[in-house]
Amino acid sequence: MRYIFYLVLLTLSVNLALGSDVKKVIPKAPLIVKIDTAKNPSVRSFDKEILHKYSEQREFNYEGPATGTSWWAYFWDRFWDWFIHLFTVRGLGILGIIWNILWVLILLSGVAAIVYFILKASGVDLQDIFKRKSNAATVPYSEFFEDINNIDFDTEIENAVAKHNYRFAVRLLYLKCLKQLSDGGMIAWEIDKTNTQYIYEIKDQEQRTAFSSLTRQFEYVWYGEFLIDNQVYLTIAGSFRNFNQQKA
Amino acid sequence: MEEEEIFKQRTDLSKLTATVDQIKASIGKIIVGQHETIDLLIAGILADGHILIEGVPGVAKTLTAKLIARSIDAKYSRIQFTPDLMPSDVLGTSVFNPKTVDFEFKRGPIFGNIVLIDEINRSPAKTQSALFEVMEERQVTIDGQRYAMEEPFLVLATQNPVEHEGTYRLPEAQLDRFLFKIEVKYPTFEEEVAIITQQHQQVATEQLAAINPVLSKEEIIALRKQVRSLHVEPKILEFVAKIAAETRNSKSLYLGASPRASLAIVNAAKAVAAIRGRDFVTPDDVIWVTPAVLRHRIMLTPDKEMEGVSPDEVIKQIIQKIEVPR
Repeated sequence: MRYIFYLVLLTLSVNLALGSDVKKVIPKAPLIVKIDTAKNPSVRSFDKEILHKYSEQREFNYEGPATGTSWWAYFWDRFWDWFIHLFTVRGLGILGIIWNILWVLILLSGVAAIVYFILKASGVDLQDIFKRKSNAATVPYSEFFEDINNIDFDTEIENAVAKHNYRFAVRLLYLKCLKQLSDGGMIAWEIDKTNTQYIYEIKDQEQRTAFSSLTRQFEYVWYGEFLIDNQVYLTIAGSFRNFNQQKA
Repeated sequence: MEEEEIFKQRTDLSKLTATVDQIKASIGKIIVGQHETIDLLIAGILADGHILIEGVPGVAKTLTAKLIARSIDAKYSRIQFTPDLMPSDVLGTSVFNPKTVDFEFKRGPIFGNIVLIDEINRSPAKTQSALFEVMEERQVTIDGQRYAMEEPFLVLATQNPVEHEGTYRLPEAQLDRFLFKIEVKYPTFEEEVAIITQQHQQVATEQLAAINPVLSKEEIIALRKQVRSLHVEPKILEFVAKIAAETRNSKSLYLGASPRASLAIVNAAKAVAAIRGRDFVTPDDVIWVTPAVLRHRIMLTPDKEMEGVSPDEVIKQIIQKIEVPR
């Protein structure tokens, strides 16, 4: 809405600037014609020799080098004529102004469409142009899951356990638990929220206590980097399973 | 298998947590509320950092700092900063001794273990500059002679907000030397009633005299060593670095966090983790300490200042942009 307002202001100001051709009324003085009454008036003329002498001198030659309009200047002259013509009044009153605005909008849309198709055709991603590129280093997929909705948890957990990477398996168990809580509407998943914030989001006291315990286990394994073997993993996986059953 | 069995702490933090509880209990007898302030003060001591306490007059800034100092059995000194205070009044000066026909160095009040600088922003930049070397390098150089501070060395400073009469803005270089800037707010209604009741019955005065030290110098040094050894997962370190980098790219900030600030966040988060009984740091610890570590180190752009935006709001927005490592 603000931009439309600015556009209206711009159009009106251009119109006013171009249309403000105020004619000054200069009072006319009475004409007085003097008549020469002499019978034989003498006609004076310039001395041609002197004129020739002066014209030979460089100082009195006022003709500069020949200047022609270059094609570049001609192009810009034409361009600006055309551009100003776009904003000139196409009718008086409110209808004229509306038509002006519509005309400018149509032109801008046309230009935007041409630019869009050129960029699309040349394979440029428009988001890359307008977004500031992130300086963050790329993190391997195995340790960085941004969107918990796109992970096949069961397969990934199986893979991690098969590789004896129990720490990673516990992490996946916790993320799966968060996803289930999010799907069940018990927490609102956001990337900037901490585990403690999720604990406080769970309203049911019993489930909150159970989830708090799971969070503690995850934090010790993931952030604390406590070494766990298969036996400990099975214990932790069991508590996650119990929580899911209790929740269901 | 029980949880305690699986996750047996690698570092024994029982002594540390017991001491922290003792300090909190003794201070809690006199100071009503201000739990966050007390937690941050204890974290600052454990993280080996200097602390700046800011608040309007009458919110018990100096009292809290004094109580913390009294909880530690170490040499305590207090300096009241005034507009005419000279650097030599803080650091000390060489005085001619006619008996020995030589100059002798008379140590200033800065030579203590716990130094309380009251109203630090009442002195102009000349006197503030005297603190640069001693706060960062724990030493004073006078007449070409170097005097090292005795460990532990901790500066607790109080100040009124800068817009108050007769105050000077602290230089950025000095602010960066403070681990935390703690903002002491007004008490809640219930807390204020409790304060009035305590003062009215003169309970606080009696209890103030009964505060005994719970930590010796040696214990502080040992606990600090323990805190330094706590575990920080690499992704948490990346998280801290991202916060610092984001402050440097933020359009709301004219000056972002320094690498010293990143280190301060990690050290402070370790201390908080230890207080919470963990031998490793979690993102919660980092997020909790970040405002206190950054609020005095960053500078808002003039337009944000005019809009009345606070540094804490910008820090909160910055943290919200960054994904919590998980």
